[in-house]
Amino acid sequence: MRILVVEDDEVAAEYVRKGLMEAGHVVDLAPDGDLGLEMARAADYDALILDRMLPKRDGLELLGDLREDGDATPVLILSALGEVDHRVEGLRAGGDDYLAKPYSFTELLARVEAIGRRSDPSAAVTKLKVGDLEMDLLARTVRRSGQKVLLQPREFRLLECLMRNAGRVVTRTMLLEKVWDYHFDPQTNVIDVHISRLRGKIDKDFDEPLLHTVRGAGYRLQV
Amino acid sequence: MIEAIKKLSRNTLFRLSLLGAFLFVLSLLIVAMSVYYATVTSELRRVDRLVESEHAEIQKIFDEKGFQAVEREVTIRTASSEGLYGLVNDRVAVGNLFFQTVTKEDGELPLLTGLEPEQFAKIPFLYSNPQSDEEDLQDRRARALVGPIRTENGVVAILVVGRDVEATMRTGAKVRNAVLTSSGIALILGLISSWFVSRIFTRRVEAFNKLADDVRSGNLDRRAPRNYSEDEMDMLAEHLNAMLDHIDRLMKAMRYAGDSVAHDLRTPLTRLRTRLESAAIDLGDSPEADTLFAAAEDASELLQTFDGVLRIARLEAGERRELLTDVDPKPMLDDLAELYEPACEDAGLSFTSDVASGVMVLADRGLLSQAVSNLIENAIKYTPKGGKIHLKLTKNKSGRPEISISDDGPGIPEGDRERVKERFVRLDKSRTLPGSGLGLALVDAVADLHRAEFAMETGLGETPESPGLKAKLVFPRRRSFKTKG
Repeated sequence: MRILVVEDDEVAAEYVRKGLMEAGHVVDLAPDGDLGLEMARAADYDALILDRMLPKRDGLELLGDLREDGDATPVLILSALGEVDHRVEGLRAGGDDYLAKPYSFTELLARVEAIGRRSDPSAAVTKLKVGDLEMDLLARTVRRSGQKVLLQPREFRLLECLMRNAGRVVTRTMLLEKVWDYHFDPQTNVIDVHISRLRGKIDKDFDEPLLHTVRGAGYRLQV
Repeated sequence: MIEAIKKLSRNTLFRLSLLGAFLFVLSLLIVAMSVYYATVTSELRRVDRLVESEHAEIQKIFDEKGFQAVEREVTIRTASSEGLYGLVNDRVAVGNLFFQTVTKEDGELPLLTGLEPEQFAKIPFLYSNPQSDEEDLQDRRARALVGPIRTENGVVAILVVGRDVEATMRTGAKVRNAVLTSSGIALILGLISSWFVSRIFTRRVEAFNKLADDVRSGNLDRRAPRNYSEDEMDMLAEHLNAMLDHIDRLMKAMRYAGDSVAHDLRTPLTRLRTRLESAAIDLGDSPEADTLFAAAEDASELLQTFDGVLRIARLEAGERRELLTDVDPKPMLDDLAELYEPACEDAGLSFTSDVASGVMVLADRGLLSQAVSNLIENAIKYTPKGGKIHLKLTKNKSGRPEISISDDGPGIPEGDRERVKERFVRLDKSRTLPGSGLGLALVDAVADLHRAEFAMETGLGETPESPGLKAKLVFPRRRSFKTKG
């Protein structure tokens, strides 16, 4: 993906750039709001990473201007203002996801890849497939190697979220947000427990595991 | 109506202006009394002195010239002065009083012919003057001195000397009526004006009260209404507004400073974590990488604590109170139960819930679920294996919604239950367990924001060593919440 990072903290921006490049993305940096807007207008990016507090032009302002132009590039907003109402404000202004500082790089990568993919025109899928694992979103059924797997509604949503991001890391926080709609970090390992139950249902009787734990990051569904 | 009067009687301004009206009426009465004294009382005293001296004069004439001279004198005086006279004994009855009907003022029968006083007596009485044409001269009031004309041997005759006081008495009555009428009017006007004054001022004071309530509930942009008359209330409004502007500026400055600190401190901390993480990833599977991941985890914890402090500070500022909406906690609590039930099972705890439906609270779903999740996590953390945790939503005895999380763990001693709500307070027993000491402080801040009561009591435990803990959030009834604004 081609990604524009608008961030005034040079060191942080450089680390983000380095990390994204190592993950195989092409990255441009903009140090302030004005330049950020100019660059976003000039080139066609797959995703934007936007700091909220920027010199010259506030992040939300930039986003508003961009959306007024009819530019629908997916935007991940970064901010030190990690309060829920600020998050809502950011999403309302046209952001696709919101990540509060402090974030871990893996979290950032997972999220930017998740929103970047969303711009693909294949949004209205009814069937998901990862290896021999198949999910029918209409019939709400899951099969692995043709064998029916019985899932609780929440487990279904958990698996759906992982399958939609197949091949990419999905963090615990993302799962908590997208599957449970909670926006806080639990101190205990609640998500791990749910994942291990899901794993018990889809991987247990098969030789090749699909659901992998990525150390220091989260989970990845992959063949 | 009665309620309105009661309310009015509690109004300070109404009471003060009413007191003013009463004092005014009182001073009116004092003035009236002195006028009455000057016109009536002193005139009556003059009459009394006059009749006394006249009586004495006639006694003197008797002493010097004998009874016949007295008879003559009385006849002359009757004819020549406006006085009222009566001289009477077994043989004689002289004077104008005997041509007239004389009644005592209190209505007793005329006693003039039968009078035999040994002592002087002053009597007020009524008399009619048949010679007068005017009707208002009937039954006129008079004051007289009745006394004996005496020698050393005894009473020779009884002499009555009196004066007509009708005019004086009428003046007195007029003064009295005028005073009573004007006091009455003054009192009514006083009542009406007190009511008006109190109404006008109460409205303005109520505006201030409402302002204070609004500000306290987090609306720092409210200002007192002004009418620019520059009277005391308007000046008070101006001063209040200036003060609020100042507070607002300070709050903004503080928030800005807080945000900047957050921004400035979090950024390098984030960078630190990112460096550690990317170094760990670069190293691949190795013991060094594990150390680096652990260091990154420590940095995360530091950041989370910092985040928690900021979050609590924001909640305490009450900024988000207007975001509260009607929430049925049931789906949220069911979700939480579903989220934590497997974790409890893994920890060897039995998790049960009893969530009533149709209990509404005014709440912020996100904050409330975070608070309840903190309490559940605490219960999981402190309850030993084999224990039980119970989540409950109910309406308590006084009809208030109550969310409680009970366990049968070690509990918290009664004396520590308030203290543990403070930031960074951790009891000795829990120091070895992970945690920042902010969990309950956050619950407390969330409870405050919801005007809910956060209380802890003994839980489900059955032994004295592990009494358990029941942490509960008791919300205000919906109705009372609304009237509080």
